[in-house]
Amino acid sequence: MSPALYLGFATLLFGVGLYGLLQRRSLVAMLISLELMLAAVSVNVVALTTLTGHDASMGQVVALILVGVAAAETAIGLSLFVAIHRASHSIDVETLSELKG
Amino acid sequence: MTGTVLAALAAQAAPLLACALILIFLRGRPRVAAGTAIAALTVSFAAAAFLVWQVAVPNTASVSQTLWLPVQGGAGLAFGVILDPLAVTMALVVAAITLAVMVYSTGYMRGDPGFARYFGFLALFGWAMLGLVLASNLLQLLVFWELVGLASFLLIGFWFEREAPAAAARKAFLMTRVGDVGFLLGVLLLIRALGVATIPDVLAAATSSAPGFTVPLVAFLLLMGVVGKSAQGPLFTWLPDAMEGPTPVSALLHSATMVAAGVFLVARLHPLFAAAPGVMQGLLWLALVTALASATMAMVANDIKRVLAYSSISQLSYMLMALAAGSVAAGFFHLTTHAGFKALLFLSSGIFIHHAHSNDMREIAGHEPLSQKAGVIGLVAGSLALAGVIPFAGYFSKEMVLGAMGERVGGVVLALAYLGAGLTAYYTFRMVFLTLRGQTPRRQEARDIAPAAHVAGHEEHFSAAAHAAMAWPVLALAALTLVLGYLGGFFATRLSPALPHEGPFHVGGGALVALALVAAGIALAWYEFGRAGALRLGFAERVPALKSFFGDNWYLDRLYKATVIRWTLALSRAAKWNDHTVLDGASDGVAQGTVWGGRILSMVQNGFVQAYVAVAISVVAALGIWLTRTGGLP
Repeated sequence: MSPALYLGFATLLFGVGLYGLLQRRSLVAMLISLELMLAAVSVNVVALTTLTGHDASMGQVVALILVGVAAAETAIGLSLFVAIHRASHSIDVETLSELKG
Repeated sequence: MTGTVLAALAAQAAPLLACALILIFLRGRPRVAAGTAIAALTVSFAAAAFLVWQVAVPNTASVSQTLWLPVQGGAGLAFGVILDPLAVTMALVVAAITLAVMVYSTGYMRGDPGFARYFGFLALFGWAMLGLVLASNLLQLLVFWELVGLASFLLIGFWFEREAPAAAARKAFLMTRVGDVGFLLGVLLLIRALGVATIPDVLAAATSSAPGFTVPLVAFLLLMGVVGKSAQGPLFTWLPDAMEGPTPVSALLHSATMVAAGVFLVARLHPLFAAAPGVMQGLLWLALVTALASATMAMVANDIKRVLAYSSISQLSYMLMALAAGSVAAGFFHLTTHAGFKALLFLSSGIFIHHAHSNDMREIAGHEPLSQKAGVIGLVAGSLALAGVIPFAGYFSKEMVLGAMGERVGGVVLALAYLGAGLTAYYTFRMVFLTLRGQTPRRQEARDIAPAAHVAGHEEHFSAAAHAAMAWPVLALAALTLVLGYLGGFFATRLSPALPHEGPFHVGGGALVALALVAAGIALAWYEFGRAGALRLGFAERVPALKSFFGDNWYLDRLYKATVIRWTLALSRAAKWNDHTVLDGASDGVAQGTVWGGRILSMVQNGFVQAYVAVAISVVAALGIWLTRTGGLP
């Protein structure tokens, strides 16, 4: 497998995530897109540790930690969304613009 | 420290202490305030009398100073007291008149809401004037000179809630300021040229080394201050307006003592002025013109206080003429007697004003006559002294003035000075007859330029105590007008020992001429105002052009309004435009720019979290591209 395939896949994943983050108006969809971007980072880490001749298990450990971090982040994000929904009955970012200058 | 120095310090410290006590603690307790002020001035009076007994009677002179500001390579700045006959005699005059006026004021000002403040200001004036008189150093003298001006400002504008006194106070302050600028420059130039500021050293240096060009210039600049303070020449117009102050204040400041400060200064620095004969000649002519001009103004004024104010200007001119002619004794003698009889005249006119609630002589005359005779006695005695009738004080001092002028200057000046003496008698007795021989129907056509008659701004009850407080100082001063005239020899031997003096009873040709002119003036006043069936209209008042010219300060106020005041206002308007449009515009512009900049930049904060994310990622991406291109951070 050529390294371009791994990195290309990761880039594609990151791009899809970014697009979703910027385009979707629902907070939940944005969180999912963010998870995609984080997954792209994990792919990169695993691929690049192997490709640069390092110990492969190193990258895998980091990837596992990233999965844990992502889970924690999702939990915090979702609980925030529940709180926001309770306060404003919406999770649409277009209506959540109280910080407008 | 000797007893005399202690006495001089006590004379100054007592009024200062009283002023501070009254203005800080006793504002709400008028009786205590008046008592404090009178007690302080009694101390000053006793100290001044002691000084006269110790210094002027044995005719000694000394200076006691303490170095206040040492100057490297120079004499330094020393403050202290000068004790010579001139200073201590003037101090006694000031303390005595201030004390008399304070006692009088307890009656005149009774019931005024600012009673305590008034006595605080009087004490301030007493301190400043005594400090001025006893100052040993020119800078010290300058400080007290300005303090006296401050006291004058505060007391003219004492009834500041009314428009006229406030305006008069401003006018007095600004017009004397014009002269004081010259005075300040003169003092600075003198110190720069001579390196000393102590008065005897200055006089010694100015007359012995004679640094040529400097002395006339310094003399001229100092005279500017004199002209402003003593209301001479072009700067006199503040004094008639200063009559808006309470009458006792006019008696004390604007006739007897403060306006005499200018004359005192010339006497104090007489050797310096004598070293500039050209300037003295100019002063002589200026004083002569002022004397005659103010006499003409007094001839048509209907406000009794304005008549007295014009006559003060005229008499100050006589003092300055005597000094310009070289006789310190004559000028200072006239200052002393004038202080006595003019304070007397003001205080007795105050009794009439208090009674009739008007300054207008025709209204006073139309009012029911005074039951109390002190005012009449004071007015007549003071007028006889002012007119120069033997044996009242004014006769002797005016004779000495005219005699001194007769020796030094001759011809036209002397003749005009005699003419002025005749005019003095005329306007003085015009005032007496207009005030005392009343009960004629009021003439409406004569009221057109009458100054706005104002009643004293306080409602008080005529009580026996108030009357007594006003009567006793008047009677005491009336008695003084009969005594002071015999002191001519005292002044002559101490102040101008070099000049001949024939004693008080010498009656020469000049005195006879003067007496004849005085008699003619009184007779004319009797014919026009006094006799039964008189028209009560003076010869100058019958010519409308003369009446309006004399009654309007020779149009000097109009001239100032049309020139200096107009220019100043134009300059002020330009400055206002600059301030409001240019300076305020610049700062307003900065503020507006900030506001608009903030508005524009706040559009970036649109509240959409995705926009922020997009920006953040774009920045990171741009940074990444830049770092890749340049190969990492430097």
